[in-house]
Amino acid sequence: MRGWIILLAVVVVLAAAPLGLPLFMMTLLTEALILGLMAMSLDLMVGYTRLVSFGHAAAYGLGAYSAGYILLHSDTPVLFAVFIAAAMTGIVAIAAAWVFTLATGVSFAMLTLAFAQLLYAIAFQWQQVTGGSDGLAGIPRRGGPFGFDLLTSKIGYYYLVLLCLFGAYLFCRTLVNSPFGAVLRGIRENENKTRALGYNTRAYKIGVVAIAYALGGLAGALYAPFAGFTNTELLFWLFSGQALIMVIVGGAGTLIGPILGAALFLLAQHQLSSVTETWAIYFGLMFIAVVLFLPEGIWGTLMQRLGRKTQRV
Amino acid sequence: MDTLAFILTQCVNAFSQAALLFFLGCGLTLIFGIMRIVNFAHGTIYMAGAYLGYTSVRWLGGFVAALMVAPIVVGVLGVLFELFILRRLYGRDGNAFLMVTFGLALVLGDAVQVVWGAPPLQVPPPAALAGIAFFLDEPFPVYRLFLIGFGTVMAIGMWQFLERTRLGLLIRATSQNPDMVHALGTDVRVVRSGVFGIGCGLAALGGVLAAPLVTASLGMSLAAVVDAFVIVIIGGMGSFLGSLIGALIVAFVQVFGNYYLPEAALAFMYLVMLTVLVVRPGGLLGKEE
Repeated sequence: MRGWIILLAVVVVLAAAPLGLPLFMMTLLTEALILGLMAMSLDLMVGYTRLVSFGHAAAYGLGAYSAGYILLHSDTPVLFAVFIAAAMTGIVAIAAAWVFTLATGVSFAMLTLAFAQLLYAIAFQWQQVTGGSDGLAGIPRRGGPFGFDLLTSKIGYYYLVLLCLFGAYLFCRTLVNSPFGAVLRGIRENENKTRALGYNTRAYKIGVVAIAYALGGLAGALYAPFAGFTNTELLFWLFSGQALIMVIVGGAGTLIGPILGAALFLLAQHQLSSVTETWAIYFGLMFIAVVLFLPEGIWGTLMQRLGRKTQRV
Repeated sequence: MDTLAFILTQCVNAFSQAALLFFLGCGLTLIFGIMRIVNFAHGTIYMAGAYLGYTSVRWLGGFVAALMVAPIVVGVLGVLFELFILRRLYGRDGNAFLMVTFGLALVLGDAVQVVWGAPPLQVPPPAALAGIAFFLDEPFPVYRLFLIGFGTVMAIGMWQFLERTRLGLLIRATSQNPDMVHALGTDVRVVRSGVFGIGCGLAALGGVLAAPLVTASLGMSLAAVVDAFVIVIIGGMGSFLGSLIGALIVAFVQVFGNYYLPEAALAFMYLVMLTVLVVRPGGLLGKEE
C-alpha cells in the first residue's frame, strides 16, 4: 500500500514537472524517461531471467528506425506510429529470439551482440531505406488523429513518454509477479530444474525476449520523433553496453533501479561533460566504484538496507 | 593488372591484417579462457599500446625497443589492475567484470587523450622495413611482409609455449579446472594475474605493430574491440587456435569483402559470425558455456 502511494506521488511530481522546469530541462527529462523505459525492458531479461544481452541496442534502433520510416513515408500520426514500430520490433524479436535461445550463457549474449551488429551494418549500408551514416533526418511529430495536436509540442510529447513509461512499468510489474514471472525467476535460478518441472523454458525465454524487445522498441520509437532523427549509433554495441550498465548501476531485477540508473547515467554524462573535458575518466571511475561497493546496484542496495532496518524495528 | 599478382597483393594485405588481429584476439581469448572475463577494455588497451609505441620510438629511438617496452609497460599495468580491482570480484557474476572493464575502457581512453592529445600520431616504420619489394612486377610494402613473418613466428611461439612449457601447462590446466590446480599446490591467483598481464601485453604489442600502418588515433580502440570480439566469437571463446582461425577469417572477409562488395562487407562479417554461432553456439573450436 505504501509502495502505491509513493509511486503515485512520483508520477504526480513528474506530471507537474513542466510547470516548474525550464524547457531545456524538460528535454533532458524526456530523454531520461525514454532511456529509463529502454533500461527497464532490458531488466526483464537481465534481472529476472538472467539472459544477459549485449545487443539491446537492436531493439531500440529497430524501433527508432521503424517509427522514423513510418513517419517520413506515410501520414500516420505519431501516436500510432510509435506503437506500430514497437509491435514490429516485438515480432522481429520472436524470430531473433528463436535463434538466440539455441545457446545459453555467454554464447547467448554473443548472439544478441551479433544480431545487433548485423542490424548496425545494414543500417550503415542500406542507404535508400536507412539513410546510411547520415541516418534519417527531419522526422516529424505529426499530430492527429482527428485534429488532436497536443503531441506536436515538446511538453505534450513529454506526457506521452511519461504515460508510456508508467504503463510499461505497471505492465512489467504485473508480469514479473504473475505465474509467467515465476517461471522466469525459475529459469534464472535453475533452468534445468524448471524444465524438469515440465515448463517449456525455451518458449518462456522467447516470450520474455519478445516482450523486452517490444518495450525497448517502444523506447526507440519514442526517441525518433523526440530527437527528430535517427543514426547508426542507436544500433551500435556501445549503446548496448551502456544500457546494460544502466541496469546494473541502478540494480538489476528491480525495474525501478534501471529507470533510476538510466536517469543518473544521462544526468552524469550531461553534467560532467559540461564541467570537464575529461568526463569519461570520472564516469569510468564511478562505474568501478559502484561495482566494488554497491554489488546490488544503487536501488537494490537501498532496498536491502531499508528492508534490514524495518526488520530490526 | 595481372590477376595473379592482384590476388597475391590482396593476400599479403589479408595475412598482414590477420597478424595484427591475431595479437588482439589471442589476448582476449586467453583472458576469457582463464578468468571467464569478457574484457571490454581490450580495444582501448590495444590503442594505448599504439600510443606507447609512438612515445617509445621517439624517446628510445628504435622500433625494436618500442616492441619490447610498450607490451611490458601495459602488461604490468594489467597485472596491477587484476591485483587491485578484478581480484575483489571473483565469485561475483559476470556482470561485475563487464562493468569494471567498461569503466577501465572509459578511464584509459580519456587518459590517452589527456596525455597524447586528440590528433592522430604518425609512427614511421623502422628504416629497414620502410621500403617496397617487387615480385611479379607488383610492389609489396616490406612492412606488411614483416608483419606476416612476425605474426607467424609469434603464433608458433605462443602455441609451443602453451603446449610444451610447464607454465603453458598450468595455464591450460587452470582454464579447465582452477580448483584442481589450486588443490595441487599452485596459486591460481598468480596464474590469473599473469594471464591478464600477458593478454593485455599481447594487445599492446598488436597496437605497436599496427601504428605504422594506420597511425595511432583515438578511434582505433572501438574498431579494435569489435574486431577482437568477432574473432573470438567465431573462433570460440577461450580457444587459442580458434583465435588464429578467427583472425584469418575476419582479415580475409574484410580485405576481399572491401574490394569485391564494399557496400556489404560489414554486414557480411557479422553474418559470418551469426552463422557460425547458430551452427556452433560456442564458436568453431570453443565449448558452449
